[in-house]
Amino acid sequence: MLNIIRSKNISKWIDNNRIYLIFIVVFLLATAFAPNFFNLFNLTNILRGASLGMMVAIGFTIVMICGHMDLSVASTLNLGAILVIGMQPRFGWTVSLIAAVLAGGIVGIINGLLVAKAKIHSFIVTLGTMTIVQGIIYMYSHGSSINVTDFALADWIDKAVIPLLPPRVLITVIAVALFEVFLTRTPYGKGFYMVGGNKETAWLAGFNTDRYLINAFTISALMAALGGALFSISISSAVPNMGEKGVSPLMIVLAATIIGGTSMAGGKGSIVKSAVAVIALGTLFNGLNCFGTGYEVQIFASGLVLAIVVLYEAFALYKQDRLRGQRPELLKELEDGRFKKI
Amino acid sequence: MSTENMSTKLDRRSSKHAKWNLWLNKFGVYFMVILFIAFGTLISDKFLTVSNFMNIIQAVAMLGIVAVGVSFITYSGHFADMSVPVIMAFSGIIAVGAVKYGIVISILLGIAAGLSIGLVNAFVIGKLRANPIIWTLAVAFVMNGFIRWAYSGNQIYPDVESKGNVAGQIFVNLSRMNVFGSLPLMVLVMFIVVIIGQILLTKTKFGLQLKLIGSNYEAAKMTGVNVSRTVGLAFILSSVTTSIGGIFLTSLAKVGAYYNGIGYDFNAVTAIVLGGMTLAGGRGNAIGVLGGVFTLGLLSNIMTLIGVDTFSQAIVKGIIFIIVVGINAKSLRKLGRDDA
Amino acid sequence: MLKKSLVLLLVLTMVASLFAGCAAPAPAEAPAATTAEDPNKKNLEDSLAIDISTLKGTDGQPLILPMEKKEIPARPADPAALPEEDALHWYDMEFAGWSAEKINIPKSPANGAIGKKVVTIINGDHPYLTAYSNGAKKLAEAYKMDLKVMSPNWDLNVQNQMIDQAINSKPDMIILVPLDAKAAVQQFRKINQAGIPCIASNMLPEDEGMKYVIGWTGPDDWGQFRLLAQHLAKTLNNEGGIAYIRHAPGGSPFFARTYGPITELKKIAPKMEVLDMQAPGFEAEKTMQVVSDWITKFGPKLKGIVAADDSAQAIGIAEALKKANRTDIVVYAAGNSKVGMDGVKAGNINAITYQSAEADGAVPVLMAADWFNGKEVEPVRYLPKHVITKDDVDNYMPAQW
Repeated sequence: MLNIIRSKNISKWIDNNRIYLIFIVVFLLATAFAPNFFNLFNLTNILRGASLGMMVAIGFTIVMICGHMDLSVASTLNLGAILVIGMQPRFGWTVSLIAAVLAGGIVGIINGLLVAKAKIHSFIVTLGTMTIVQGIIYMYSHGSSINVTDFALADWIDKAVIPLLPPRVLITVIAVALFEVFLTRTPYGKGFYMVGGNKETAWLAGFNTDRYLINAFTISALMAALGGALFSISISSAVPNMGEKGVSPLMIVLAATIIGGTSMAGGKGSIVKSAVAVIALGTLFNGLNCFGTGYEVQIFASGLVLAIVVLYEAFALYKQDRLRGQRPELLKELEDGRFKKI
Repeated sequence: MSTENMSTKLDRRSSKHAKWNLWLNKFGVYFMVILFIAFGTLISDKFLTVSNFMNIIQAVAMLGIVAVGVSFITYSGHFADMSVPVIMAFSGIIAVGAVKYGIVISILLGIAAGLSIGLVNAFVIGKLRANPIIWTLAVAFVMNGFIRWAYSGNQIYPDVESKGNVAGQIFVNLSRMNVFGSLPLMVLVMFIVVIIGQILLTKTKFGLQLKLIGSNYEAAKMTGVNVSRTVGLAFILSSVTTSIGGIFLTSLAKVGAYYNGIGYDFNAVTAIVLGGMTLAGGRGNAIGVLGGVFTLGLLSNIMTLIGVDTFSQAIVKGIIFIIVVGINAKSLRKLGRDDA
Repeated sequence: MLKKSLVLLLVLTMVASLFAGCAAPAPAEAPAATTAEDPNKKNLEDSLAIDISTLKGTDGQPLILPMEKKEIPARPADPAALPEEDALHWYDMEFAGWSAEKINIPKSPANGAIGKKVVTIINGDHPYLTAYSNGAKKLAEAYKMDLKVMSPNWDLNVQNQMIDQAINSKPDMIILVPLDAKAAVQQFRKINQAGIPCIASNMLPEDEGMKYVIGWTGPDDWGQFRLLAQHLAKTLNNEGGIAYIRHAPGGSPFFARTYGPITELKKIAPKMEVLDMQAPGFEAEKTMQVVSDWITKFGPKLKGIVAADDSAQAIGIAEALKKANRTDIVVYAAGNSKVGMDGVKAGNINAITYQSAEADGAVPVLMAADWFNGKEVEPVRYLPKHVITKDDVDNYMPAQW
């Protein structure tokens, strides 16, 4: 009996921390086998590359915890990126950064209002705003990329002042930590889980569910725009079509969020786990690239990780589903023959 | 003046509203199509011509073929199939590779290739109940990597030059062929797919079961519907029409390549939802989806005729998409049907 | 408790191994420093003796053709103030790199190309770039260089990481095909600051970025399309309306392949008119739709179409023209894929530009080899310009991609 409990606990523990295990396995494998992988420079490089995805994953996870989907994050991050660079020459970094992030916020508020008040499915709303925002970006930039000649900030933001943590990564890590605390430790933050878990119950319990949804989409857009803006600052330029060809940041973040254990049905998820999943995918890409494998192997491997996670989850639910409504202890008693005597 | 009288009056009025809303939900997209046609006629005297309409229909024929298949998935409440692009690429590249064995085998193998992905989706989503979007996304990643690896990043061409090879020429001509005089084969196939889809969705036991699953999965299960089989079948049907679309696309582009079909996943969903299907499932029909596909074609046509640039076209499309779906959702809510 | 101690243990091992890992690479570098004078000289002589003129592309053309010369006009005071139809409006885009003052370029070791380690970072996966990589590998093989090709699949964020990874592996040279002309500036700056010599390839970076590289090689998109425009004007007797199918936005071809011919036609055939320009992407069915709409809208006014791509876009154009029975409309496109050359052969396309993908990949490696060999390296090397028509298309078959 004790054994059963313990094995159940262990499997539950593995379940809860699977993303950390995945990360550790990927990391150790890369360390052991990939040339030029394990040194400070490269590890900083991984974190730097992952910081964009981590920033986007914050809001994306919150929206998903609410049981919704934000397809517009890729366009919104591009909007933040292009606006901060486009406005810098006239207004300076501070103003343009704030304006770029706020512009992203407007997209988020529109998304939120359409989902919460007009009650249109989030998949549709954000699919629409994705196209609209992309069009606006092209109009703003005339289809061209734009740049600034001021490299001071770009140099600073990517320089590893603290080992492993250049300012851009540090800002991202702090944002992840703040939102994790907000979501799991404050009463308001916990409400997101309530709204996503069961909207009706949350409403009956006095949560303003509409407000929560609007906030979730706004946070998502704000963080995406901030992530995009920081990224474009780090290269002193912005392109109008990030992720239009190839794999869009949306797909990477979506995959990472799911691998990190957030449920698409809502009510379950963790920002830190999503962030770690982004890093894990980045490590996988980086490690494979150290071997000199082509992009096809990298995308294949990340797809495989995603597929295994989905299958594992589905299979666990499937088993649970099959046992639903059954009372194993009664069946056992029946087998024991205790009832036969009656 | 009894309260009874009053209530029947109210009833009648609400039922009138209900009928209107129901109609709007079912075929409202054609209302929009007519609106667009009227608008198009106003802005250009060249709009209302047979050739212009033929252009519009032919341009969206492949999307129509794919969208009808995917609409089975949407109808069953499983959102969409993100593996549509790789199914198209895979079926096309296999069909090109098999052209040397004859055109029939080439097409059959192409469809079989797409079907094999569909079968995996059917099992994992139908039987194991994995999340459809995430699973098909994983499949898209894996297959994309696989196709690139298998062909080392190259594209392959059907052999049209060598003299004895008729199959290659037929393959390339599939998307260019006309039947019954001047009806393109692609368009004919699209209409056939729509008709079959409409019959399957509305007239068969399978369609009814699918509707029940889409409306309420648990209830469908409790009433004894074989849910895994029915949902699986939806994914299989989707993969078959997607493969047909993929073969046409490959034939049109004259190359089999891993990047064929990019964008068809979201475009199909756009057309389906415009056509009155809700993502919650159980609502809409194949003729509506056809209307959604037409709408997209008309929109591009009219905007190019007016002279709207590419960038503004995207913005207009996005806004119209949200408004239309919003109106549809509102009409459904007024009916008290659901908050789709 | 178990959980916490486990995590602690893991963190400790990771930190410990991190320092171990940092320490490890240091001794590995030691043998490299003990290179004597003699082997260097022999290596240089061997490298200079290598003959690459016999190398051929898969299309039967010599891999390395004599490079194209180009006249550089004086820069106007403010190019942006000029109208878009004026060629000088695009001066900075077209002539980047000629006048850039080089900063902190490492000095050539002049000890031969053999055995040098080169990393090429391309911009994405595409059959053109597969052929590009093959060309690069062919030349690297001839010079016995160790070439590694990385592809970020069109993702700027991934390309930035790959640059860092390349810097980290301390190669003798980095060849970069930037994803974007402007984002390239910071990328080249970074490589330059790491002290690694660098060559830009295919996509011409902004002038600012050219300061940090030894040189740039690639197709002269503007020049190619001027040539194409001259051919077009001659075919149409300098009159008629032209519509443009553009490249995907966000790169220099988006402008070069539209405004190259527009500015040239403005100059040589002012009677010719720009009807419309659209960017339907590289999809045959979307292009077909746009062109059909044009035919409806412009009718007989539409005399010619210039496309940025000779495969999917050109197919879409050909289908639309065939349906409308408008064989009088001439089609010009950037080349030269198999589909495009088949199109020229079949008469669907009047002419395409010649752009050898393999040479595009091989020339930067050649530039690197020249640099290692201590030869003089010019800042810009254009691939040869040529317009392929029905008359000479057979010379370029079989296609490279």
